[in-house]
Amino acid sequence: MNVLTFLDAEHGPRPIVGTTSDDRMLLDPSSVAELTGWVLKPEGLCHGDVCVPVRDPQLTVDGAIDAAHFAGALGRPVVVDAAAGVVAIGERSAERRGPIEAGVASDFTLPQVAGGTFTFSSLGRRKKLLLAWSSW
Amino acid sequence: MSPLGLTFVGVAFDDSAAAAREWIDASDPRPTFPMLLDREHLLGELYGIYNVPTVIWIDEDDRIARSPLIAPGDDMFRDFTNVDSSVHHDQLRAWVATGALPPATEKVQVMLPTDDEQLARLERRVGAFLAREGNSDAAEPHFARAAELAPMDWTIRRGTMPLRGDDPFGEKFFAFMEEWTAAGLPGYGSADPDAPS
Repeated sequence: MNVLTFLDAEHGPRPIVGTTSDDRMLLDPSSVAELTGWVLKPEGLCHGDVCVPVRDPQLTVDGAIDAAHFAGALGRPVVVDAAAGVVAIGERSAERRGPIEAGVASDFTLPQVAGGTFTFSSLGRRKKLLLAWSSW
Repeated sequence: MSPLGLTFVGVAFDDSAAAAREWIDASDPRPTFPMLLDREHLLGELYGIYNVPTVIWIDEDDRIARSPLIAPGDDMFRDFTNVDSSVHHDQLRAWVATGALPPATEKVQVMLPTDDEQLARLERRVGAFLAREGNSDAAEPHFARAAELAPMDWTIRRGTMPLRGDDPFGEKFFAFMEEWTAAGLPGYGSADPDAPS
């Protein structure tokens, strides 16, 4: 097994244990559990008390979890670049749409340009202006 | 604005702290509020941001008081987008003072995430990671795919230009602007009721 890269919006790139085989990325189940909280059990894929039954015979190969089929089982979008050793898994559009449509401001933690991290909810009860900008 | 009880948080949709720092250092006055780096464009997903600069008003109850809209910080931007920043500033002052929100305007086209948009974001994220690692050849197909999936998303069409070696103020950008304008300016939301729609 090698160290590949797992990318998501909340954490950015993180190392994950797995191998690649042609276009497939096969991940070590404990590495998947550590990074995503999803554990493969007889009941299916489980996250805390929630289990999603899996009927996909291609989900695992010799005990390793196929990244694309893992995302598919959860209905999540995925991009696998096996040659480059990178997998990115995202949230379903409905998950993202929900809070926006409901007018709920989601909390987040991001690195500061000056160093360290910052959690939005640390600001407490006050009116806030989020200004998204860029150098481009 | 801080003395009136309004807190700013700046979030740079940039690929490195250095890129953001260059602009922050050149700002006069320097921002004293938190300035964050969002390389993965997490806030793009959480708040439905498709272009920058964008402001989002959030109230004491963490409710989105006002949807994302383009709100220039100074009037240099006005010449480019024909939006008057003083309108936005007046509206902000009223909101802070009384909690009043400006009347809804039909000119705001709210873009909500679609499956294609989510996939586009992933493709951009993978491409950006590979490009930052110096693997431009591996990155390029991901950038191209992202652009196909979300052609009207500026954070993708323009946001990937620096990493692809394209000038965000050059020919490819203006070609994209024409395409976006021809499509009816999707996602364009202005504080100014008289701004072009």
